[in-house]
Amino acid sequence: MSSSDLPLEVHDLTVAYQKKSVLWGIDLEVPRGKLVGILGPNGAGKSSLIKAAMGLIPPTSGWVKVFGLPIQENLKRVGYVPQRESVDWDFPVNVMDVVLMGRYGHLGLFRRPGKKDRDLARECLDRVQMLPYADRQISNLSGGQQQRVFLARALAQDSDLYFMDEPFAGVDAATESAIIELLHEMKNRGKTLLVVHHDLPTARNYFDMLLLLNMRVVAFGNTADVFTYELLQKAYGGRLTILSEVAEAVRQRGL
Amino acid sequence: MISLRMDAGVVRSHLRRWIWLVPLMMLLGGSISTLQAAKVGDLGELNLKRQAIRFLSFKDPAVRHAVLGSALIGISCGLFGCFLVVRKMALTGDVLSHAVLPGVALGFLWNLSKTPPYPILIGATLAGLLGIATVRLLLNTTRLKEDSVLGIVLTVFFTFGVCLLTMIQRLPTGSKSGIDKFLFGQAAAISSADLWMMGVIAVLAVAVVSVLFKELLATSFDAVYARTIGLPTRWVEGAFILLLAMGIVVALQAVGVVLVSAMLITPAAAAYLLTDRLNRMLWLSALFGVMAGVLGAFCSFLGNNLPTGPFMVLAASSVFACAFLFAPKHGVVTRWWRHRSSTVRIRMENTLKSFYHVLEARRFEGDGVSVLELATRRRETLDEIRGRLKELVDHELVTTEDDRGVAFLTPSGWKKACSIVRNHRLWELYLNHAAQVPADHVHDEAEKIEHVLGEDAVRELEKKLSYARVDPHGRLIPDLAQIQKGLPTPSETGRVTGYGR
Amino acid sequence: MNLIPAFDAHKVLVAPWTESLASYGWVVLMGIGVGIACGLIGNYLILRRMALMGDAISHSILPGIAGAFLVSRSRSTWVMFLGALVAGILTSFIIELIHRRSRVKQDAAIGVAFSTLFAVGVIMIAVFADRVDLDQDCVLYGEIGFVSLEPSVEWLGLKWGPASILRMGVVCLGLILAISLFYKELLVSSFDPGLSRVIGIRSDWVHHALTAVLSLVIVSAFEAVGAILVIAMLILPGASASLLTHRLPSRLLISVLHAIASSVLGMHLAVWLDCSIASAMVLSGAFLFVLAWCRFWIVNRSSSGRWESRVEEVSGGQA
Repeated sequence: MSSSDLPLEVHDLTVAYQKKSVLWGIDLEVPRGKLVGILGPNGAGKSSLIKAAMGLIPPTSGWVKVFGLPIQENLKRVGYVPQRESVDWDFPVNVMDVVLMGRYGHLGLFRRPGKKDRDLARECLDRVQMLPYADRQISNLSGGQQQRVFLARALAQDSDLYFMDEPFAGVDAATESAIIELLHEMKNRGKTLLVVHHDLPTARNYFDMLLLLNMRVVAFGNTADVFTYELLQKAYGGRLTILSEVAEAVRQRGL
Repeated sequence: MISLRMDAGVVRSHLRRWIWLVPLMMLLGGSISTLQAAKVGDLGELNLKRQAIRFLSFKDPAVRHAVLGSALIGISCGLFGCFLVVRKMALTGDVLSHAVLPGVALGFLWNLSKTPPYPILIGATLAGLLGIATVRLLLNTTRLKEDSVLGIVLTVFFTFGVCLLTMIQRLPTGSKSGIDKFLFGQAAAISSADLWMMGVIAVLAVAVVSVLFKELLATSFDAVYARTIGLPTRWVEGAFILLLAMGIVVALQAVGVVLVSAMLITPAAAAYLLTDRLNRMLWLSALFGVMAGVLGAFCSFLGNNLPTGPFMVLAASSVFACAFLFAPKHGVVTRWWRHRSSTVRIRMENTLKSFYHVLEARRFEGDGVSVLELATRRRETLDEIRGRLKELVDHELVTTEDDRGVAFLTPSGWKKACSIVRNHRLWELYLNHAAQVPADHVHDEAEKIEHVLGEDAVRELEKKLSYARVDPHGRLIPDLAQIQKGLPTPSETGRVTGYGR
Repeated sequence: MNLIPAFDAHKVLVAPWTESLASYGWVVLMGIGVGIACGLIGNYLILRRMALMGDAISHSILPGIAGAFLVSRSRSTWVMFLGALVAGILTSFIIELIHRRSRVKQDAAIGVAFSTLFAVGVIMIAVFADRVDLDQDCVLYGEIGFVSLEPSVEWLGLKWGPASILRMGVVCLGLILAISLFYKELLVSSFDPGLSRVIGIRSDWVHHALTAVLSLVIVSAFEAVGAILVIAMLILPGASASLLTHRLPSRLLISVLHAIASSVLGMHLAVWLDCSIASAMVLSGAFLFVLAWCRFWIVNRSSSGRWESRVEEVSGGQA
């Protein structure tokens, strides 16, 4: 596979701030069309990896390439779903306005969103089942609904590579299953998705590949290969709970 | 038999609800006594009327300048202020407006005169931008928090300006410079050159806000995301700060250094309360800005040598107060009114429920319910019950025979009572089954929910519970279909059935 | 340019302590008093991120003072204190009202509240100029020089000094006393309101008490330094101290030293430049702050200074 085919290529990425290392020597080659979960304990650098990959924070060393080009030259092909807390939900916009923002990258400096953009936005809202709420001001939404609006905005970008920062945090069960269904659908259309995730049990079922991160890459590969007790232990530094130890012991005895 | 319970919790909650009256009384009392002491009438009514007529006739070129200038300032401040409010940058506007003072003084020193205004304007803009740069520098290089840094830059720059001002005033030409007018503003001192600048900035403001609307919107809402889609956020923010600085500087003449940040924030905050879309907010804010500006100019004209700034601010604050109290969706008074009406509705529904319970307790035999029975069940006094019944009578849900002390449900009252009880018991069942809430806990939860369950929610519930008949306490659930069909009134059949056989 | 007078070393550096001591001695003392009181309480404002509150209160006590003048028709200090206290409480109440009961955020609520009250105060002064003994411009930067013109207070046959200095001294002593007595409570509620609630210290009472004391300090300093300069005197000493040490007792001590130094330096500066003395004191304080900043920068130098804070801001502190 030539370099320009890889959606994401990370080489020796190191990020440090305030004399603390956040990421150290990250090497990564993510193949196309995969749904990748990023796991690790708090402070492991999961969000920082995404932000460094998106060019939001400058690396201390190393580089990141998206489809063979540095990210600044290839922004159109990358979509981002940030954490919900990053935004003031009292802002005077409605759902449709937020989703339309996903189209701003495609419009020039002086052009306004046209009919095509609005139709696309409506389509994206429909895919996340939020079309009836298009005119609602965003503070009147539940947590799960807000997350879906962010997803619709990313969909509207029509990118090939997506970074998502904890999209399942604080959403209800119905929204969670709707989201994972949508992610699988996107994957089937050939998109590549990297999702920071916080919940171990569901990670095993949701993702094709897993990236275990704890400042360095602990493991990266297919879920079946990576989701083992030893590797998880290494990533979480012995912080796995008693419960999961017992569960693992039970599983190993084949009960 | 009937006991009144007034525990400490009730007292405290009542206290908490009405405690805000105390400062309001203080404010009213203070203003009344101050006004009395001031004897407003002393201002001289003849002078007032004459000045007012002089203003409104527009013959005086100073008046024309003042009104036009104030209106133009209102537009630019209103537009820029919107972004300050939604980005929570109100204090930055304050810092900018105070930091320009040394620039004003230095600009004045260039020509040792206020005209032409260009050196003052350039100097002030540069000083303001320097202030913002200092803020960023301090934030990036020290561990000082944002509020301290803003406070430091605001006051130190302002002090430097004051120092220069007092030095200028000791110069031979200084005391007549009119430069102290920059502190609180004097719209009457607006010259034609000033008016030109104000016009240019207003036009620029409108142009930039319309052309760059989506960039400004995206950057203000989610700057990080905006960067990821390739918007030039640094340039947009830089352009905004530059325009803001220039807008502040041209407004100085009319509003003054100290209060110009209020002209930025207050009309925008009022607009913020009245709409949910940013573009409408911009229109409203500009409108309020113009209103405040012109009104302020008018009021200051009435007296002798009165500063314009404070009057503009007061006008803007009055608009804000109206928006705060009476905004259609979010106003404090409107919300209180809606809450009150929903409280009334809940009270009526609870009374109807008790009606049903009394009837159910005697297996729906006999139609009338005595007031005493209701009072016992609700554990309230007879007077309170009579008051509630009167409410229900007003809404045609109940009829009473006062001489016998008996009340009857009307057909619509009966329907409503059944619906309420049905909602309550369905919800209890749901909680018990689906949410595994133990039977002795479900009642309180249902008490709260039952008043807000809509029709579709009830149908959903029924479906989920497979059209159950009995609630967790073993009591029958009134059948919705039966209720909808409209049961005969109790007196017609002699025996009331609220549920299927 | 004849704006900046020539530097006459004798006139600027020596005379204030020898010949002109009568005029400048009390001024420096007043400056020291204001500086110490503001500096001490300012440390807590910085810790509790209440610097904005100080800004708001300093503006909004103006209608309180003006109203007190109008109602009492006298220059009695107790009435002024009462008026300022009422205004201070009213401000904090209005701010809470606006941002708790509507979606207006705290920064805009503070801006609306204090600018309205300040505007009312300025109008009162302008319209009733003959009955209110405050000058429109002086409310902004005060006139500390008046202190030396006040008659001395006589008590027990001794001349104790101008009344305002004595008042300021009492406020200072009271503040030092309060800080020593309630040191633990102030510390805990500033750093960890949750913990303080568990221990039994009502952090909202501490907040209200702090606001009340802040209003008192500001109104005592008001005539000397005015509404806006007082904010500098509140924040600069504590900010300089925070750049030099982490420990609160040291910070309090450094604030006191900072106040004394900026007062003395400011006086000399004002003598030289012939400008408002209070503003010169603040500028000296700013100069000392810059020195502290330089020292901090030299000590804490790291290779990537600027973008690191940006990283923190972008990553929200959480990796």
